[in-house]
Amino acid sequence: MTQPKSDVLQGTLDLMVLKTLDTLGAMHGYGIAQRIQQISGNLLQLNQGTLYPALLRLEQRGWITAKWGTSENNRRAKFYSLTRAGRKQLEREAADWMRIVEVMARVLSPGEVM
Amino acid sequence: MSALKEWFTRLLGTFRRPATDLDDELAFHREMLVEKLRAEGRSLEESRRLAAIQLGGATQIQEAYRDQRNLPFLETLMQDVRYGVRVLRRSPGFTTAAVLTLALGIGANTAIFTIVDAVLLRPLPFSEPDRLVTVGDREPDGTSSNVGYVTLAEWRERSRTFAALTLMRSWQPTLFVNGEAERLAAVRVSWNYFDMMQVRPALGRTFTPDEDKPDRWRVVMLSDALWRRRFGADPSIVGRTIVMNDREYRVVGVLPPTFQPLDAAKFYTAAEIWAPLGYDAAFRDACRGCRHLRAFGRLKPGVSLEQATAEMNALREQQRRENPNEYEDGSIAVVPLQRAITGDVRTALFVLLAAVAFVLLIACANVANLLIARSLVRQREIVLRTVLGAARSRIVRQLMTESAILSVAGAVLGVVLAAFTVRVLAGVAPVSLPRLEEAAVDGRVLAFAALLTAVCALLFGIAPAFRSGRTGAQQALAIDSRTSTGGASRARSFLVVADLALALVLLAGAGLMLRTVSQLTKANPGFNPSHVLTLQFSLVGKVYAEDPAVVAFQDQFVQRVRALPGVESVALAGQIPFGGNYDCRGFHARGFMKANTIDDPCIETYGVTPDYLRVMGIHLRGGRFFDERDTASGQQVLVVSETTAREVWGGANPIGTEVRIGSADEGPWRTVVGVVADAHHADVTTPVSASLYMPQTQFTESYLVAVVKTATSDPASLAPPVRAVIRELDPATPVFGIATLESLVADAGAQHVFVMQLLSGFAAVAVLLASIGLYGVVSYTVAQRTREVGIRVALGAKRADVVRLVLSRGAGLVVVGLGAGLVAALLATRFLGSLVFGVSPEDPITFTTAVGVLTVVALGAHLIPVRRALRVDPATALRQE
Repeated sequence: MTQPKSDVLQGTLDLMVLKTLDTLGAMHGYGIAQRIQQISGNLLQLNQGTLYPALLRLEQRGWITAKWGTSENNRRAKFYSLTRAGRKQLEREAADWMRIVEVMARVLSPGEVM
Repeated sequence: MSALKEWFTRLLGTFRRPATDLDDELAFHREMLVEKLRAEGRSLEESRRLAAIQLGGATQIQEAYRDQRNLPFLETLMQDVRYGVRVLRRSPGFTTAAVLTLALGIGANTAIFTIVDAVLLRPLPFSEPDRLVTVGDREPDGTSSNVGYVTLAEWRERSRTFAALTLMRSWQPTLFVNGEAERLAAVRVSWNYFDMMQVRPALGRTFTPDEDKPDRWRVVMLSDALWRRRFGADPSIVGRTIVMNDREYRVVGVLPPTFQPLDAAKFYTAAEIWAPLGYDAAFRDACRGCRHLRAFGRLKPGVSLEQATAEMNALREQQRRENPNEYEDGSIAVVPLQRAITGDVRTALFVLLAAVAFVLLIACANVANLLIARSLVRQREIVLRTVLGAARSRIVRQLMTESAILSVAGAVLGVVLAAFTVRVLAGVAPVSLPRLEEAAVDGRVLAFAALLTAVCALLFGIAPAFRSGRTGAQQALAIDSRTSTGGASRARSFLVVADLALALVLLAGAGLMLRTVSQLTKANPGFNPSHVLTLQFSLVGKVYAEDPAVVAFQDQFVQRVRALPGVESVALAGQIPFGGNYDCRGFHARGFMKANTIDDPCIETYGVTPDYLRVMGIHLRGGRFFDERDTASGQQVLVVSETTAREVWGGANPIGTEVRIGSADEGPWRTVVGVVADAHHADVTTPVSASLYMPQTQFTESYLVAVVKTATSDPASLAPPVRAVIRELDPATPVFGIATLESLVADAGAQHVFVMQLLSGFAAVAVLLASIGLYGVVSYTVAQRTREVGIRVALGAKRADVVRLVLSRGAGLVVVGLGAGLVAALLATRFLGSLVFGVSPEDPITFTTAVGVLTVVALGAHLIPVRRALRVDPATALRQE
C-alpha cells in the first residue's frame, strides 16, 4: 500500500485554500488547484473537483466570499477572496499547525530525550 | 459561531432552488485544464481525458456539493413530506376522517390541559410560592383550620422552621367617598404579611409592627384597582385619610397591579383593601379558643413540609400541656398554599384530564385502524417501491412521515378548536376554579400540544409502519388485496376492543356523574329555596354603635319590606345556609358539659328575626320559634336543630333546659324554647351540621342577610324595591350579594354539573369514535367475505344465516371489549371519589345502562354491513375474482 502521493485531509485542504487565497488574493477554483499542486511539488494528489464543496463550506462559514468576474483569458469565472474572519482563521490554524509540526518533529527526532 | 452560520446557510439552502453556478465553474475549470494540457503538447482527445481524470467525476462532485450546500437529512425529510402530502391528498376521505379524529382528540386534550395548567400547575404569582403554606389544626379532609391569635403568637416565638408567620381575618368595611357608600372586599393581616408575600408597594410603604396593635391599626393599603376606581389613581393618596364605617383611616401604600390576593380570595373574598390585624395578647378576640384567624407562613429555605409539620405538632403538644383547657386532641396540617387554594377542584380537574386522555387514546386507536386498513390497500405500492430498491428503513420512515403529517394537521386544527373551547369552558365553569381567567393557549400549552402530536404520531403510526415495512417482496407481490392477512386483522380487532373498553369507562363515569347531579337536585337541603331572594347589607358607623339602633333598623326594614307588593314573608339573619359563611360557637348545655369544656361541641349559629323559619320553609319540630315576646330585656332564649338536640342531650327533650353560648363561664344562660328540623349549611354533600338559632334582639349582628319570600314567580324582581327600602332607611348603607336562594343552591353543585357535562361530552365522542372503529372493521370483514357470502347464498343459506355470519365477527369483539371495559371502569370510577354523591362508584344501574347503551350502539354499527351482506348477489360475487 505504498502511495507516493498523500491524500488530502479535509482540514488541511481548508488551510491550504485559505493560505493560497491569502497569498494570491482573489482567485478562481482552477487557479487555487494549480497553485496547491505547484506548491506541493505535485506531491499531493488533489482530486481537483473536491475543491468545490470545500470552497462552498468555507464560504458558508464566512471565511471567504465569492464573486463572478473575468479570468486572465477573458472567460467568466468565480473568484474567491479571503474575508477578515477568514484571515483570522488562517492565522489561528496556521499557528495550530505549526505547533503540531513542532511537537511531532520533536517526538520523531531520534536523539531527543522525552 | 461560524459552525452555526454554516448550519443556518445550509438550512436555507435546503429550501432554495439549486443554483447552476457549479456547472459553470466546473466547465471553466475543465476548459482551463484542457488548454493547459494542450499547451503541453497533447492531443485534444488526450487532454480531455486527462482533464476529466484530474477533475474527478462530475456526478460525484455535484453530489458532494449538494450535500454541503444543504442538510441531507432535511432534504430527505422534505421529500418524504412532499410525497406524503401528495399521497394523502389522493385519498381525501381517509385524510379528512383521520385529521378530524385527531383534531378532536388533541383539541379536547389541549383545552382541558389549558385549564388544568392555569388552575393547578402554574406556580402561584408570588415569589418562591413553594415555600408558602397555610397552618392550623388538621381538618378531616386534610385542610388546615383557623387559629387563635395567642396560639400563633407563641408559634412565632418558638418555631425554627418558619421564616415568617402571619394571620388574616375577614373584614367588610364600608367606604364613603363624596357621600357615596361602597362595601369593600377586605382583609386584615399581620404587619409582616406583605413582607412574607414579598410584595413591594407601588406607592408608599407596607405596615409597621407598631401599627399592628389595638387602637393603632387604622391605616390601610389599597389595591391598584381600588386606587384607580375610587381615587382616580391620585399619586398623592399616600398619607391622606379616607373614611370607612365613620372612622378615618390613613392610606400608607398602594399595591402594584400585578399583586393577586389569591390567598384572601380563597378564604374570604378577593381583597381590595388591607389593614393591620391590630390584636395583642390582651385583646378580647385574641384568646386561644377564638379561632377565627387564618394562619399563613413562609418556610425557611430548605425546610420540608414534613419537618415543619413535625415541629408544629411538637409545639401544639407543648401548648396543650401548658393550657389543657384550650386545646382538644388533634394535630397540625401544614398545607402548601397552591394546594390550599385549589384543594377541592384538584380531583375534578385530574378526572377530566384522565377522561380526555382516554378520548385521545381512542382517537389514536381509530386512526391506527384506518392506517392498517389503508396499508393493506397500499401493500402493492410499497412492494413496488421495495422491489425498485427502496430500503426498508426508508419505507418505514416514509410511512411515519405520513403519520406525522396527519398528526400535525390534526394538532393545528385541534389547537384552534382548543383556543375556542377554553373560552366557552371558562364561561360555563363554576366560579370555584381559581385563576381560570388566566387560562389561554400559550407557549406551555402549545408545547403540550406538540408533545401530544408526537406521541399520537408514534402511537398510531409505528405499528402500521413496521407492519408494512416488514412485508417481504415475494409474499407481497403474491398478495391479493382482497385476502386478509391474519396479523392486520388481529391488530384491528385489538384496537376495536380497546376502543370499546375505553368508551365504556367514560360512559360509566359520565353515568355516575349524571346520577350524582340528579341526586343533588333531588336531595333535600332542609329548607325550601324556591321563590326566595337574598341580599346582604352591613349596618356600620357611629349610628349603629349600640345594639338597639341596629334592632330598630331591622324592625323598620322587616315592616316596610313585608308591606311591599308580592312579598309573602321577610326575615334577617347573620348568615344563611349555602351563603358561604361559617360561624360556629361553643355550646355549653347545663348538665351536659364535658369535663373539659373545650371538648363541648361547636355549633353553627344563626341570629335571626322571627319570620326566618317561614321564609326558609324550615319545619318546627317542637316548642316554639321566636316572636315579639323575645325582646332584648326579656328571657334569653335559644332554638336548636334536631341534630343538636340528639348530639348534646342524646334523645332527651331539651326544651326548658339552659345553655351558655361561646364561653362556659360567662354570659347569660339561655333557655331552649324550641327544636327545628335540620338544614344543610355548606351544601347537601356535606353532612348536616348541628345548628342553633337566637333572636336578633338578644344576639344582635350588624352584618346581615335579608331573605325575602315572594308569592310571584321571580324573586329577583323584588331586588329593586327592597334596595329602595334600605336606601330610604339609610342612604349610606350599601347593598351587595344579591342572589336568589335557588341560585346559591345551584352554585353549590356547580362543580358536579361541570364535571358531568364534560364527562358526558367526552363519553359521547368516545362512543361515536368506538362505533366508527367497529363499523370499519365489520364492514371490511363483509367486503372480504363477499365471495363466501355469495357461495353460501348460492348453496341455499337463509337471510338469518347471513346476518349470523356477519354478527359473529363483531359480536366477539363487542363481548371482549365490553368485558375488558367493565373491569377497567370498576377500577377507574373509584378515582371519582368525592365527586360522586348519593350513588356508589360501582352503581349497578349505571354500569348496566352503560353496557346496554354500548351494545345498542355496537349493533347499530353492524346495520350497514349486514344490509350490504344481505344484498350480495351470488352471481356477481362469484364472478368477482
